[in-house]
Amino acid sequence: MLESLPSAFRKHGLHTDVRTLLLLRKSMQQGLIKTLGDLHNVLKAIVVKAHTDIGPFTKAYYEFFLYIPMAPGQTLEDAILRSETFQKWKMDHVEEADKDLTDTDLVTTFLDQVHLTRYDIQEVVSGKEIWDGDNPDQEDEDADENSTETERLLTKMADYSDVSLEELLERMKRVRDQQKTKHEGGSHWIGTGGTSPYGHGGAAKNGIRVEGQGGGKLARKVLNDPNYFPIDRDATLSDDNMDAALSSIKGVIEESATEKLNVPLTIQSGLKRGGLFIPELSSETNEQMKIIVLIDNGGYSMAPYVRTVRALFKKMRTRFAQDLEVCYFHNTIYNKVYTDDRRTKPLPIQKLLLYDKSYRVFIIGDAAMAPYELDSQSITNLKAIQAKFKKTVWLNPEPIAYWAHTYTIQAIKELISMFPLTPHGIERAVRYMNSQHVSE
Amino acid sequence: MAEVSYWMGSEKYLCDPELAQAFHMSRTLGMPLLIEGEPGTGKTELPIHYAKDKDLDLEVYPVGSKSNVEQFVARFDHVKYLRDSQVEILNAQREEKGLTGRLSTGDRNPEVLGDYVVKGPAAKAYSKPNSVLLIDEIDKAPREFPNDLLYALSHRKFVMPESGEVIAASEEEMPAIIITSNREQELPTAFKGRCIYHYIHFPDKETMAKIIEKHHPDLEENVVRTALDIFYHLRRLGLERAPTTREILNWLKYMRDIAPEEALKKIEGLAGIGALIKTQTDMERVSRMIGAGNSFGPSYN
Repeated sequence: MLESLPSAFRKHGLHTDVRTLLLLRKSMQQGLIKTLGDLHNVLKAIVVKAHTDIGPFTKAYYEFFLYIPMAPGQTLEDAILRSETFQKWKMDHVEEADKDLTDTDLVTTFLDQVHLTRYDIQEVVSGKEIWDGDNPDQEDEDADENSTETERLLTKMADYSDVSLEELLERMKRVRDQQKTKHEGGSHWIGTGGTSPYGHGGAAKNGIRVEGQGGGKLARKVLNDPNYFPIDRDATLSDDNMDAALSSIKGVIEESATEKLNVPLTIQSGLKRGGLFIPELSSETNEQMKIIVLIDNGGYSMAPYVRTVRALFKKMRTRFAQDLEVCYFHNTIYNKVYTDDRRTKPLPIQKLLLYDKSYRVFIIGDAAMAPYELDSQSITNLKAIQAKFKKTVWLNPEPIAYWAHTYTIQAIKELISMFPLTPHGIERAVRYMNSQHVSE
Repeated sequence: MAEVSYWMGSEKYLCDPELAQAFHMSRTLGMPLLIEGEPGTGKTELPIHYAKDKDLDLEVYPVGSKSNVEQFVARFDHVKYLRDSQVEILNAQREEKGLTGRLSTGDRNPEVLGDYVVKGPAAKAYSKPNSVLLIDEIDKAPREFPNDLLYALSHRKFVMPESGEVIAASEEEMPAIIITSNREQELPTAFKGRCIYHYIHFPDKETMAKIIEKHHPDLEENVVRTALDIFYHLRRLGLERAPTTREILNWLKYMRDIAPEEALKKIEGLAGIGALIKTQTDMERVSRMIGAGNSFGPSYN
């Protein structure tokens, strides 16, 4: 079971390996894990490396440790209610008096207990101490009952601090296996000898409402919110994954931070010192973003993408006020492009070719047209652009599976490196651009 | 022993339990805590308030596009070194000529290389036990910066340039390292692997009310409630730049000095909404959707 943790989590697209286990073991030795809730939080801190990992992690955790698998589109509540783990818990931990609770309430209680951390327990204890200290005279039977209840709660908490990771996992595995065989009336459920890591089911009734941090509440929230799941980086560019695209396209900005000898200043101040020349350094940054974007905005096939592409580059411009030229064409580039989107202001291709060769050129179009439209003039021009601007790429919104079936795509692909218009594709395009060197 | 007690926030800072736990964990394991989250959710505030509350030394390294490891750890001041050695020669020459005045090198001695090492925040934090080190907005750094940090983070040791002095912190005396990021660029996987990660979720209404309570304890409850209603309504509109904790705190700061009834009126009339809405397009959108109309900007009617 121990060995299967990394691979089980990897199935959910998370980076887990032997280091995850080593860190988990270390946390255990440091006494950070005492309840299941702790295990969740510690593992989360180790495994999750971006907020989009939180969703998959929560899923993986429920599946792996609680044996509550979640089908796509299923809500957490539904998954819990359908799981055997929950049925078992209900049998063992819900008392007669609570029988009339609704499913929602039961799930909430279940989640509260699953996510109960040792910090919550500490809070309860210190809260009680304060209360006792404040009202020493008013302590009545009720209070006594409360305190015994607290102790019961604590003794009932399985203290995992002396248990090794292997043992813990082994123990969980045993229980899990047991749960697979239906209704095997065991007296324990995760944890032995009456020490349930979930605290006592009745605890809440007796005034020690464990004020959890709402780990369960959070789990619910996470699973209903697409923000906590990774966006599909291979989906065609849209408003949803624009930010992902933006972060990949930012790779085109060449940044460097170097200190350079400032010769004029050195001479100047050296002369003032009467010939004692001390090198004056000045830091220099070069942020270069010289970009030409050529967009195919003719025809219906391109219409949905034009707006998104423009928004993408506009966002980029607002963040880095730099050289960004946007031109338009239809289908392919003949002897001119247009500087406005209605294609009324032509810019001859010769003029475009006068731009500095360090410009990066993004051509965005589906490259799908009748074969005769891609004539020799157009091919010459595309070749000229590629020859002048080494860093030229073609981004194609058409799904990559169709590329092989369109003749013109195949033809253009031979001339200019083509990438799909997806965040992932843009990232690869930028990486390709960065590998091309423009000679001085 | 390192400061590993469980810290729950202070009078001025509400630390949600999950963050508190992640922070505790990072200190116990001696790993840096990497915090991400929407801007204005108090990422930077955590170490500042923690250091203040626990009375620990705080070293801050604000990362910028020109950041490099030299600035962060330590650099050798070649210019000063050259100057001082020149000064020595100059002084000798002057002495030969019988001139009395001498040029000073301060307390520095060109023989002692350590005098020319300028320590950065990291070296300072590592030489003081149990200090707090904040690396703010690491995503603004040039791409190679996080990778350069890897060695230091995993070995707890820095070697000073030229002088060769070694600054090391034992696992027990490791400074608490907090790194914040706004995700403007992706950090290398190897780097993230060495950190404890925490994502600050945007606080819900209840928590936000508590946060406001901590900052402006004297505000009337219904003023806060009305303001919160408007605030969360604005966040739901899907604006280009949704208002955050920082913005509502500023907005209420402006309301603080006004009598409650008046403040209530002002909030309902969206007075001073410029504190919440930061772009022109958003402003237009808000006016279209909730008809803030002519009460834009601070109106002092």
